[in-house]
Amino acid sequence: MEVINLILSLLLHPSIFVPLIFPGLITILVVIILLIWAERKIAAKIQMRIGPLYVTRRFGGVLQLLADLLRYMFAELIISKDSDKLMFIASPIIALTVTLLPLAVIPAGSLLGIELIALRTSIGLLAALTLLSLTPIFIIVMGWASNNKFALIGSLREGYLMISYEVPMYLSALSVAILHGSLDIVNVVNNQQRIWTALINPFAAFSFFTSMIMSTSRFPFEITESDSELVAGPYTEYSSILYGLVMGVPYMRLYVFALLFVDLFLGGWHPTIDGFSSIILISKVLIILLFSVFLRSVYPRYRLDQAIRIGWHSLFVLSLISIILSLLIIGFGGISGC
Amino acid sequence: MKVTLLKSQNSGKEIELFIGPQHPASGHMRFIGRVDGDIFTKFIPDPGWVHRGIEKIAENRKWIQIIPLVERAAILDAANMNIGYVIALERLLDIEAPPRAQYLRTLLCEINRITSHLYGFGIAGIMIGSSTFYMWPFADREPLIDIAQLITGARLTYSYIIPGGVRRDLPQGFKEKALKALKYIERRLNNDYFRLFFDNPVTKARYKEVGVLKEDDAIRLGIVGPNLRASNVKYDVRKVEPYAAYSELEFDIAYREEGDCYARLMVRVEEIKQSIKIIRQILDKIPQGPIIHKKYEKLISLKKLEEYQKTGVFGLPAIFATLRPPAGEVISRVEAARGELIFHIISTGDLRPYRLRMVTPSFRNIVLFRELISGARVMDFPAIYGSIDYFPPESDR
Repeated sequence: MEVINLILSLLLHPSIFVPLIFPGLITILVVIILLIWAERKIAAKIQMRIGPLYVTRRFGGVLQLLADLLRYMFAELIISKDSDKLMFIASPIIALTVTLLPLAVIPAGSLLGIELIALRTSIGLLAALTLLSLTPIFIIVMGWASNNKFALIGSLREGYLMISYEVPMYLSALSVAILHGSLDIVNVVNNQQRIWTALINPFAAFSFFTSMIMSTSRFPFEITESDSELVAGPYTEYSSILYGLVMGVPYMRLYVFALLFVDLFLGGWHPTIDGFSSIILISKVLIILLFSVFLRSVYPRYRLDQAIRIGWHSLFVLSLISIILSLLIIGFGGISGC
Repeated sequence: MKVTLLKSQNSGKEIELFIGPQHPASGHMRFIGRVDGDIFTKFIPDPGWVHRGIEKIAENRKWIQIIPLVERAAILDAANMNIGYVIALERLLDIEAPPRAQYLRTLLCEINRITSHLYGFGIAGIMIGSSTFYMWPFADREPLIDIAQLITGARLTYSYIIPGGVRRDLPQGFKEKALKALKYIERRLNNDYFRLFFDNPVTKARYKEVGVLKEDDAIRLGIVGPNLRASNVKYDVRKVEPYAAYSELEFDIAYREEGDCYARLMVRVEEIKQSIKIIRQILDKIPQGPIIHKKYEKLISLKKLEEYQKTGVFGLPAIFATLRPPAGEVISRVEAARGELIFHIISTGDLRPYRLRMVTPSFRNIVLFRELISGARVMDFPAIYGSIDYFPPESDR
């Protein structure tokens, strides 16, 4: 009995529970399976098709992705002769790992009375953004290690896009920090009990959301792996389970970003239910995720230079405006004055 | 040859990109481009991967067997390929189809023009990443294919137009079904397509002022079809040299002044509207009468003649298998969906043609790749490819 208690208390300890169960690995797997299924089903509905159906037919093909993953597992892993083998294999794995790291510092409400944050620091927001900006570097490495022209052009595009979305994203996150006077995400969320940041500073929310769409290569900014000229961009040479990983990374990134977006702009777990605030949070996250993947059925993709222009001409200016707005609100007595 | 040409000029600053033939967007062909940063400094199309030798095969086929053969050049546009060949053959035989047959030919050609343009829209949509605009036009071809099936019995390759007339008459209740299909297409085209795609800010950003083809360049390069008309040249074989029933029908030449990718798409939208207008006129004023030349009506057995008078299905007279047109040389021009289609036939009075030359519109438009994409951005390549509605099997023949 004591052993079970020990295991339980170990499992339910935030530093284990957060990365492993919620909002970590297991939740991510479930969310991604549902998300990709929903993406394909929504697109199918709009496009007058049926969508995935044959795996678990009774539930509308919801386990299709699991079947695909199994297939990836048993497919032959082809590594081209001239590639940089170490980096070719290592970079998807590292990319996956660093994509999950920010979950340690992003709070996810509380479940069964446990505060779900693995590492609470006074600079949580800064740490989350820094960790989030690591993944693109490994995507660039993937393209370089593949020794393929399409992959190379794809990673160059990732590099171009990275500098044009990260600046507005950081600035709009900074405007939130200014507004709430804290870099601790828990404080930011608790400050939104009365009114959400997105309603006080919509410029910041819009700029952050668009940068997030851009950084996770959702439509209309699906430029890095644009298949009509680059086959699959940096992922061209990947096959088998490594392809499964690189395909999953943008979705995991989208999930982490959505979590951060909800925390910063949509009031996190407020309005809350005592003890189960995480459910409020995750439902908001799911709505954001569904909206992000829904864009695929509506938009074509922008050209690379147009996306960069949007980054610098529109989002950058919008994020500067959002900082000025935050400063003005602080100058006129802060958020409580609203 | 082309490959070495590119390599010898390589300065090391640019990379050489081979797009296709195994590539999501290349189609059945290869492109060789040199990329400097984000710009194609040089771009060469390399066709021929689906060359089937239709012209050579035609020299070994009987005259009537060539009808299904030339249709294979562009399956989506089979009726227009068919009518081009049959008009040339009729000029050799010196016969002309009766008026009702001319109207039926026009009807099928216009249905095919709409389906071909819708197919082009779908390709243009997926090329710039809109998966919804890939599926919609493809699905919306279905009602039109259905009405074509009502007339001909086949969905794509009809072999409907034969020397001296057509194979079948309209079935009962065709008009109502056709009007219903046209109404559906009109609604989709005017509302849904514009709301989703043509008025989408992303689409406009990708297409406007991209791949501009100037008026004199279009004429100099010998561009045909909607691509020519999008560059402010009002040239349409249906007006210049009317065939079938076009001289009796009212329609306008669709054209645009800008000459960019968006103009090329808009010309196709306008052409679909004109085709709908033509089909409505045909349904209203199609004359009664025979669907095949009198000369051939006598050639079938009495039993078949009875069946023809009862059901309107004529079929092929057995005599067509040994058709021997007189010796001579003819040319026919028709406006296929992608532009002007030319047949040049030399006959020696034999069972088979001595030579059949087929100049397809895509073959004449292929030069646009070199002209428009050299100097364009890498991401403009799919946008331009989609907008010129190039169809490799039609070009390679």
